[in-house]
Amino acid sequence: MEPAHTTPASKNSWDFTLMAITVGFMGSLGAQSFVGTVYSWWAHRTVPAWAQIGQPGFIDVMNAIAAPQVIALIVVMGLCVPKRLLSRGALLGVSLGMLLLGAITGILTRSIITGLAVYLCAAGVIQVLVIVMTLAGGRGLTYLSNSRLAKAGSGLLHLGFIVMALVVVALQHSAFMLPASMLSAVLLTVGSALAFYARPSSRAPIPVDSI
Amino acid sequence: MIVPLIAIATIAVLLTAAVPAIQRFLKPALWALTGTLSAGEVVLIWFHIRLWQLSQVVDPISGISYGSFAVPLWIESEKLYVWALVLSVIALTMRRKGDELRPLVGIAAGALAIGALFSGRPFADPLPDFLAGYRMYLDVWTAGDITGAAQLASRLAGSRQYYYNTWYMWAHPPLLFLSYGAFVASFAASVLMIVRRRSSYEQVAYRWARLGYLPLTLGMVVGLPWAIIAWEGEAWWWSGKVNMSIMMWLLYTAYLHARLYLRRRGMWRVVAALAVLSFLALVLTYITTYIVPGAHSVA
Repeated sequence: MEPAHTTPASKNSWDFTLMAITVGFMGSLGAQSFVGTVYSWWAHRTVPAWAQIGQPGFIDVMNAIAAPQVIALIVVMGLCVPKRLLSRGALLGVSLGMLLLGAITGILTRSIITGLAVYLCAAGVIQVLVIVMTLAGGRGLTYLSNSRLAKAGSGLLHLGFIVMALVVVALQHSAFMLPASMLSAVLLTVGSALAFYARPSSRAPIPVDSI
Repeated sequence: MIVPLIAIATIAVLLTAAVPAIQRFLKPALWALTGTLSAGEVVLIWFHIRLWQLSQVVDPISGISYGSFAVPLWIESEKLYVWALVLSVIALTMRRKGDELRPLVGIAAGALAIGALFSGRPFADPLPDFLAGYRMYLDVWTAGDITGAAQLASRLAGSRQYYYNTWYMWAHPPLLFLSYGAFVASFAASVLMIVRRRSSYEQVAYRWARLGYLPLTLGMVVGLPWAIIAWEGEAWWWSGKVNMSIMMWLLYTAYLHARLYLRRRGMWRVVAALAVLSFLALVLTYITTYIVPGAHSVA
């Protein structure tokens, strides 16, 4: 698929870098999941009473390895949000501001979870703004597609990820857990459908010599 | 009666898909497989309706009825059967590159049908875990052990409320089976792309992958609140099945992300590798249910 007819080259590069980092973290978490599952399978078969004796330690180690990756993935996802709205310089400022806001909240409350939740809420507010501007046909938003529906889909999709991350990070014991989960399911599904099917270039054939 | 018919149709699909000289008969064979599997599904639906009408759970001490069981149509012995049915419909109806993809998807549908008949055995040994639990409750009560029967009734009422009759069990598994079917078609197209080095196959692989990603994402996300509630206090996200499911979803997400930049130099190799890895993760996810113990597992 051709990236961006309307997006400047520097934006493309920034988009690609964020995508590569996202894919990298997803691949890394995927690899950890695989290794963890294989180890779990092996331990269940060979270590007597592993479920009672060894599994709690295994879970601690897996959590310790995954936590920084998940936090980094959430941070990158937060950085992906304002990229539609802002120039690269302003984007850097806003991104740093969001990070600082999350970090300061985390330090003041002595809770990484609260810091992440505040960071995600900030990303969510910006994302809602991006979606409203996209639907209103606002200029200055940069996307990989020209289709307004595809742009709205991309916005909804990212908002769905933010809401889902909020559920996992902060809402598990809240009365809002179920409605927030359902909201993220709707946003992710509708957003994915629009992003996949409303993008005209997704229907265009790729030249044979590109492979 | 239905099992031999399904078996004959399955053999016909496998033969016509594998032997190029008779491949022109593949589509009629797939019609036969889809038809017989659908007829079998009607039988299973009737069986589930009868279960719903008859399988009351009553507390033998208080006489209070907990209600009947709305057992979902895609659990225990019926999982592979539903997957085979979905895949045979896909093999029959696929249009883009259909003539080239159909043999591969047809073989997959046939293999799943064999698995359903010989491993799942939904007609010979239906719902073994559910019926074993229900029979035990009836047997204990019939033997006159009222206290034991009351305990079993309480346990059955719990599984009825939090498993069999939940909306989640009627939404989560079928969404995943739909996505699995689409991903089989996507994988077949990816294999052809890698072997024949033609980008048109990549386009088909992407079309099936994005179609599969929608029910996969919806199915997994609607599972999240259920997991949080049902497995509270457990590190369920590190159980084998959940772990592998997350890995599969991450890989498909990575594939669809990377695919946005397909025209970058050499990117198609990354996309092809992610497509294959994602499908391997899907197969492992399914197998993990049966071999790695933990939450969401029957090992």
